[in-house]
Order: sequence, then structure tokens, then C-alpha cells
Amino acid sequence: MTADSHALTTAEHSPIAGLAHDARGGISNPILGMLLFITSEVMFFAGLFGAYFSARAQNTPWPPEEFAHTLNPLSLILVATVILVLSSVTCQMAVNAIRRDDRAGFLRNMSVTVILGIAFLLMQAYDYLLLADEGLTLNAGSFGTTYYTLTGFHGAHVFGGVLMLSVILYRGMAGQFSSRHHDAVEAASLYWHFVDVVWIVLFSVLYLL
Amino acid sequence: MSSSPRPRSASDLILIAILVVTMGALIIGALATGFMDGMFPPEAVTRQGREIRSLYDIVFWIAAVIFVFVEVLIVYSVLRYRRKPGQDELPVQTHGHNVLEVIWTVVPTVIVAYLFVISLQTLNSIDAVAKSPDIHIRAVAQQFRWQFDYLAEDGVTTLFTEDVATSDQGGGMHVPVGANVQLQLTSPDVIHAFYVPKFLFKRDVVPGITNRFDFTIDPAEAGQTFRGQCAELCGTGHRVMLLDVVAMTPADYEAWKAAKIEQAGATPAPSASAGPVAVTLEETAAGIKFTTKSLEVTADQAFAIDFKNEDPASVPHDVDIRAADGSVLADQPTIDGGTATTYTYAALPAGTYTFICSVHPFPDMTGTLTVK
Amino acid sequence: MATTTLHPAAATYKSGLYEWLTTTDHKKIGIMYVVNSFIFFFIGGLLALGVRAELAQPGLQFLTDEHLYNQVFTMHATVMIFLFIIPMLAGFGNYIVPLQIGAPDMAFPRINAMSLWMLPLAGVILLSGFLLGGTAAAGWTSYPPLSEDRILASTGPGQDLWITALILIGTSSILGSINFLVTIFKMRAPGMTLFRMPIMVWTVLVTSVLVMMATPVITSALIMLFIDRNLGGHFFDPSTGGNAVLYQNVFWFYSHPAVYVMVLPAMGMISEILPTFSRKPLFGYKAFVFATAGIGALGFSVWAHHMFTTGAVFLPFFSLMTFLIAVPTGVKMFNWIFTLVRGQLTFSTPLLFALGFLSMFLIGGINGAFSASVPVDYALHDTYWVVAHLHYVLFGGSAFGVFAGLYYWFPKMTGRMLDETLGKIQFVLMFIGFNLTFFPMHVLGLQGMPRRIADYASGAGWNDLNLAATVGGFLIAASMLPFLWNVFVSLRSGKIAGDDPWEGNTLEWATSSPPPPYNFDRLPEIRSERPVFDQRHGHGAGGHK
Repeated sequence: MTADSHALTTAEHSPIAGLAHDARGGISNPILGMLLFITSEVMFFAGLFGAYFSARAQNTPWPPEEFAHTLNPLSLILVATVILVLSSVTCQMAVNAIRRDDRAGFLRNMSVTVILGIAFLLMQAYDYLLLADEGLTLNAGSFGTTYYTLTGFHGAHVFGGVLMLSVILYRGMAGQFSSRHHDAVEAASLYWHFVDVVWIVLFSVLYLL
Repeated sequence: MSSSPRPRSASDLILIAILVVTMGALIIGALATGFMDGMFPPEAVTRQGREIRSLYDIVFWIAAVIFVFVEVLIVYSVLRYRRKPGQDELPVQTHGHNVLEVIWTVVPTVIVAYLFVISLQTLNSIDAVAKSPDIHIRAVAQQFRWQFDYLAEDGVTTLFTEDVATSDQGGGMHVPVGANVQLQLTSPDVIHAFYVPKFLFKRDVVPGITNRFDFTIDPAEAGQTFRGQCAELCGTGHRVMLLDVVAMTPADYEAWKAAKIEQAGATPAPSASAGPVAVTLEETAAGIKFTTKSLEVTADQAFAIDFKNEDPASVPHDVDIRAADGSVLADQPTIDGGTATTYTYAALPAGTYTFICSVHPFPDMTGTLTVK
Repeated sequence: MATTTLHPAAATYKSGLYEWLTTTDHKKIGIMYVVNSFIFFFIGGLLALGVRAELAQPGLQFLTDEHLYNQVFTMHATVMIFLFIIPMLAGFGNYIVPLQIGAPDMAFPRINAMSLWMLPLAGVILLSGFLLGGTAAAGWTSYPPLSEDRILASTGPGQDLWITALILIGTSSILGSINFLVTIFKMRAPGMTLFRMPIMVWTVLVTSVLVMMATPVITSALIMLFIDRNLGGHFFDPSTGGNAVLYQNVFWFYSHPAVYVMVLPAMGMISEILPTFSRKPLFGYKAFVFATAGIGALGFSVWAHHMFTTGAVFLPFFSLMTFLIAVPTGVKMFNWIFTLVRGQLTFSTPLLFALGFLSMFLIGGINGAFSASVPVDYALHDTYWVVAHLHYVLFGGSAFGVFAGLYYWFPKMTGRMLDETLGKIQFVLMFIGFNLTFFPMHVLGLQGMPRRIADYASGAGWNDLNLAATVGGFLIAASMLPFLWNVFVSLRSGKIAGDDPWEGNTLEWATSSPPPPYNFDRLPEIRSERPVFDQRHGHGAGGHK
């Protein structure tokens, strides 16, 4: 393919870009794509939660007696929860900063978000070690299997989110975002909020309910 | 659609005539050749099965009428509305017709609502489970055989067990006609399904769940045997999970049951007196396979097989002998994995026989016994 | 039609291998989807012939290793569903949708390329089991505990390869569906309002919603199964506190909507072809759109009709929903037929396959209503009746639709027509072979022949019908020979198609064949769902009713 035709394969650079967009404008492609992706992720977690509630309905008592006090909400996990919620706040502050064209504020808040995300992951890993010491492992009956599957896949999503935000941070440091051009930031922050909300639901169901 | 219909030309009338004649010939041909018989399940032999059959017949005839109507409509439209040479002017651009569209939304809705209601009525009748049925049987489905535990009135205590599932091997689930039999279904391993085509019924056997259903065999069926088999893929031996339901008169059933209870009470006799053993062979089962696939013994002399089962404890095996026609000549008890035993066999006349694991009767666990 | 040479744009399709491997052009990606799907169609077909060869007569003759037999039918279904039908329809969607809505490409071209390349990778992973000690053998449904890692169930790597491949394909589908949705919502040409979109686009839209909402759910089931098998989890094994029926619920929550994923785009293709060849608009466009959306919505509430015999689902609700889905399906059937009525039909090969779709899908739809009636399903479930039913839907429906679409859009894709005579030979062979294979299976099922068995007693009375089905299967295989020859010959020396060989209605016929990389030099004014018809005859030509 020739150089000019190559440029035509993405809508943004096409000379007929006018054709490519809804006349009504509206939400941008990356953000709509991310919202739809989050919808599918919601369904993924719905499948896992379905399995969890099925196991919970079938096995009484829940938690089993040997783990009756293992999952204590007032422990390290509460700190981790607060950290993740805070990271969502700083993430939004970063988005608000770039909307105002405040690049320094954007970079500062995004860095804090990434660090908080990493801190959450480390705390979760440490918490896994503590739980394993108490005998709660992946193969400790339905209780252990569902606990680790739900929190593990949430952790994997946090890890994915940290990677995504790191890329955003890197691109931000390279000066790629401005108040007019920061769809990727908005999309990544949506994903990060989603991960945060999943954790709040998870925490409520696993530790409080 | 509101424009007045175009006058029909002679060729159109001929077309319609051909269509009617062809369809008529097809339908008459179908009826005459017994094709239509193939479109119905076999005559049911249980009360519940007959109800399902009545429902099937209603569903079938409604479906058949709809099918013929729509298919004729398709064929007619295709033949009638060919583009003719020189037809360059566009046909009328019909975008829709509200009345027609409402009709073909409402009419199917009414039909399926009717089908739903009659299905639900039948369902409530055939799925009804009696609190105190006449007979309790527990069918245990495991890879790859059926076993029938006959239970006491409490539905829990086992009176005796029929562990041979097919009648050609002298077993089968024996039940009296006219009695309300309740079958409990359990599986220790994977999902199976209890299926007897002439019951027009199947029910999954799900590990962890005990499914139950009732059936009553029609009195006229006494003396009949109904074949069934596992209907849910359960592994390599899925197709050999055959079973027979043997319908008996109540009197025959009581006699059979009494004999079975007596047999169960007696100490299990060692397998038929085999006489002095002339030769001892060796056989090992590992990975659901016999390691030796052919054995040889001398004619008219009793013999023995030292049998080792090297599979996990949950996998039983045995070494039975069958004649070429499939009849069982020696039926040995199974042994669990990780154990060994010596089976003794009565003398056999010269010939070629099959030795086989009755739990896993497929090629890997089948061998040739040559007697000469 | 006066054109005698290929459009200059055809030159870009002759570019080198590297160009094809790295392209982000939706048209090339669409073509590669189609080619890839056909490769897997032939692989899946050979596996099916293996099954039919074994069942031709009683006794074990061909696949004498029954474990291999189980692998073969498991792979046949998995390949046909996940590597043929779903990607094939996604491929047509990829090629057609941007053209039909007047867009220059998909919304995310690079993600589009990634979705494509995950498929052959998944196929290789799936089938590598044959070389690595056995593929999955627990059926394409892979119900645990049979699919768990234990003796007499699914030891060895095959089942894990199956899980991995399906997660890959699922991810590809999810990314593809998001791509379609953003493309359809955001990249329509000016004037292309939602209710002027071609039905094909509507069906892809509804399909994409189904894929996006349902596929992640099966991904979760597959992951749980993987955890059970490899990490000592206890989701599905009742002997360790799991629940075997749970998997079925989660599996069918995806896999029933997946049936509509496999048939809706084919319906969309038929809905493009019938109007073109009858020179009339689709009868009841809006009703058709609502019927499609209705099927999509109801599709999420009928999954447990695959589980009526488990004794573990709420029967009346799922029975009612399953019956109700017949209504929008029936609406579509009548819309199609009344598109033909008072039209001017030209019997080109695409129309033949489309009519094949109508008459065969009709059978698949009607015999589906039998299984909606729970008591009747007790008799028919897991017998060859169900095998007949699903093939009438997925082969008689979807596969006939795919061939209709291929004959219809091949000129657009390549600039050359497929040969009509060879096409008609293929159609006749395939139509007869198909019915000879699958119609007898209704009877076999009624007589009590269960699915997924390698052998049956010769006294069961099933010999003749099985032999007929096997002969039919080989006839279907034979029908592929004229098809392959047709493609081979037509690519080299087929008649030059020109922009609009069929007098089509939708925007893809407004550009050259093949279209240039940016799709359109200029777009006609879009004032209805048939912009090219309006351009040809004038808006409102032929009278509006």
C-alpha cells in the first residue's frame, strides 16, 4: 500500500473524515469503546459473582466454621480499600487537571494514582500470604476457591489498570495530552473507576455481607 | 398490497395446479410409504409417556400445518413471481402492510401461548412425584454401568441390588406393570441421563443432586422389555451404558423380588465350582486397558486368571467371559483399583471367546480368549 | 456492467504477503476472516466426515478408538461454531458494515487486526491436541465433571487447550463486537440515520450487543473450569463442594445467545439479497428491526431450555420465553416471503442459497418449537433429533446464508463474478446432501438414538437412516468441489463485475469493485435505507406503499 492510502486507514486522518463522524458529534470513539468494554467486564464479573452466590447458597454455614473469622474487614484489607478509593479520587483530580490544561497537576495526580495502585497490589499480595498462613488457600473448599478467584481477577484488573495508567503517565510526560486532546486519559480513568467500584462491591460481599 | 390483484394468466393457473398436485402427491406418498410413521416417537408404554405422546401429536400437527403453509407460500412466491423477459419496469415498491404484519404477529403469539399452556398442563401431570409410591428404586449411574437398588418403603434402605443392567445378561430393572414406580437417580462421578425411548422420557443423573421421577407401566405391557441407555455424554464408554426395563405382572415381580431378597441375604457363594485349576494366566488392568489382549487355555480344563487392577481405587474392573454371541459365560465380581485377585473359571469347550471388563466393555478392555 | 477491466483499486489487493499480514484495512481483514473461516470449515467438515464414516453402519470400523471418536465430534462442533460460523459472519460484517454505512474503515483498525489474528492462533492451539496426546473429548459443551481433570474424564492437555482457545476466540469476539458497535454508532455517513441502516447492519448491531454481554460470561465459566482443573479449585465438582449444574447455567447463558450470534447476521445477509433479487424493498423494515432486537433481548432469557432434563431449572419461565422467541422469528419469515411476493425474481446463485436458507431455516425454527415444550423435550433432548434441529438452524440457516452472501459479495470483494453454472451445481448438490444427511436424524432421534455415540446395535433399526445420513454427508463434501473450483477459476478469469452487478440497494454498490482503500470517492445522498436504489431510479420510484 502506498503511503497516502495507509494514512487513510484511520478515520482521524482521512481527508473524508467529515464522513466518519456523526453529525451530532457527541461522545468520542475511544471513550465509547471503553464504556462498552467496561460493560463486557461487568458481565465477566457477573459470571464470577453468580458462581460465588451459587456456592454460598449451596454450602452452609458460609463462611465454613474453620474460616468463620478469617475474613476480617477491620484489617489490612480496610487500609487497601481506602487506598484504592483514594486512588480513584486522585485519578479524577488528574483528569480534571488536564481538562484545565494543568499538565503539572495532571502528572502529579496521575503519579500518585499509579503509586496507590501499586500499593494496593502489594498489600493484597501480602494479605494473601497472611490468609494462606491461616489455611485459606485456593483449594480450601468452595470458600477458598471463590475468594481467590474473585479477588485474584480483580487484582489482575488492577494490574491491567496500573499498566494502562502508566502508559498514560508516560505519554503525559511526553506532552501528548492537552485540554483538547486527552480522550485516552478519560478512557483510562473510566476503567480505573470501574476497577474501584468492583472492589467496593467485592469487599462488601466478601467481607461484610 | 391495496392495489387490485393483477388478473391471473393461464400460466399462473397451470403453475398453481402443478404446485397443488405436487404437494398432494408428496403428502400422499409420505403417508403411503410410512414416512409419516418416522415422524412420531414410538408408542409409549407408560401413563406419563402416553401423555407426552398426546402432546407431541398436537405439537406435531400444528407444526406440520404451519410448515406446509409457509413452505407452500415460499414455493408459490418463488415460482409465481419470476422476472419475465422484458420486464424492465419496477414492481410496486411495497414497504409493508400494517394489517398483515399485525396478523402474523398476533396469530403465532396465540399459537405459542396455546402450546405453552397445554405443555404446562402435561408437565404438571408427568412431573408429579408421589409422596408414597408403590415402589422405590434408586438407579445409580456410574462410568459406565447402571445399578438398581431396590429400596424399602422408606425410600432409603436398600433391600437388594440388581447390578446387571441388561436382560441379555440376565439382569435389567424389573418392575411390575400398573404400579407407581419412583426412580431416584444418583451418580458418584459425572453426569449421565436415564433414557428409555419407549417412556418418551429422560432425566439427567447429576452428581450432587438426587433427581426423582414417577412412572407407571401400562398393564398390557407385562412381559415386555424396553431398552434404554445413557443419553448424556459420560466418557469413552458412554455408548455401552445400556439398560433394560423388564415389565412383569405383579405376581411375577413379587416372585422375582422374593428370590432376589433371599439371594442378597445368603452369603455370596464363590463363583461356580470350577474344579481343579489346570493353568493360571495373568492379566493386568492399567489406565482402563488390559495389558494383555489375548489369552490362550486348553479346552475342557478349568483355569484361573491372576488379575491385578492398577488403576486408582475408584475404578473397579473384572474379567468376564462372553461367547461369540455376547452371552455371559463367566460373571466375576469386580475388584477396586489397587487390589488383586485370582478369578477361577469353569472349563470351556474349544473355540474363541471374548474376555471383557463388564464395567468398561469397550475395545481397550476387551480381549480374545482362545480355547483349544 | 459495461466495464471490461478490473478497477485500478484491485491492484492494492495483489500486494505482497507482508502487506496482508500487517494491514488494518477492514476489507482485507474481512477477506482474511472469510478465508480463515473457510479453512476451518473444511477442517470441521473433514472431522464430520470421520463421524459419519464411523456411524455409516453398526460396529466400529473407522474410528475404532472411541476416545478418538469423542475427540473428533468435540472438535467438529468446536471448530464449526467458534472458528467457522462466528468468525465467518464477523468477517462479512467486517467487510460489509463500514461500506454499508458509508464509513472509511472500522473505528479501531488495529484492534480489528488483532481480533482477526487471534483466531488462527486459537485454532492452532485447539487442534494441537491431536499431536499432544489428545484434544478435548467432552463435547463442545464440555460439561463438568466430565471435563474435570480426573481418571475416566478429561486428563491430559486437550481440555486445557480447548479452554485456552475458547478464551482467545471469546476475547477476539468481544473486541470485535465493541469495534462494530462504535463503528455503527459513531461512523455513519451523513444522512445514515439508524432507521436508514441496512438490515445487515442492524443484525450486526444486535449480534454485537449479544457478543459483548454474553461472551464475558462464558469466559468466566472457562476460567473457573481452568481453575478447577489446574489449581485445585472447587467450582464444578460436586465431590468437593462444587455444583455441576452451575457450569451449565453459566455456559448456556452465553451459548444460547451465541446461537443468535450465529444466525442473526446470516438473516441480515438474506435481508439484503432477497430485496435485490426481487427488485422490491424488504417488506416491513421496522418490524424486522424490532423482531431482531426482540430476538436479541429474549435470547438472554431462554438459556435453560438446554437444561430442561437436569431437574434443576425453573421450567415454566424458560419454556414460555422459548416459545415466545418463535414470534419475532415468524415475523421475519413472513417479511422475507412477502418481499418475494409481487416481486420480479432473478434466480442467480445468491438468491438460490437465500431461498435454501428460507426453506431450511423454517424447518430448524419449527422443530425448535418442539423442544420448547418441556414434556416433548424430555423425549427429544440429547437425541439425534436435536442434532437435526441444530444443523437445520446452523447449516440450513447460517451456512446457506454464508454461501448466499459469498456469491453476492464476491464480485464486490474481488471485482469478478463467480460462475453461475458452477454455483448452481454446488447449490443443488449441497441442498440434496444437506437434507439427506440431516432429515433422517429427526427420525433417528424419535426412535431413541442418543447423540455422541460411536456405535449402535445393528438390531436397533437405525442402520438405513444412518447410512443415508453418511451418504448425504459425503454429498455435501462433494458440493465443495465445484465451489472451490469456481473460486479458483473466477479469481483468475471470472467475468468483470463492475461497481454494481446485481443492481443492489445499499452503499457498498456505490463504490468500485473492489473498493479503494478509503472506500468511497463520493457518497450518494442517503434519503432511505436504499440509497443506491434511489440514485438509480430516483427517490420514491415505483411508488411507495
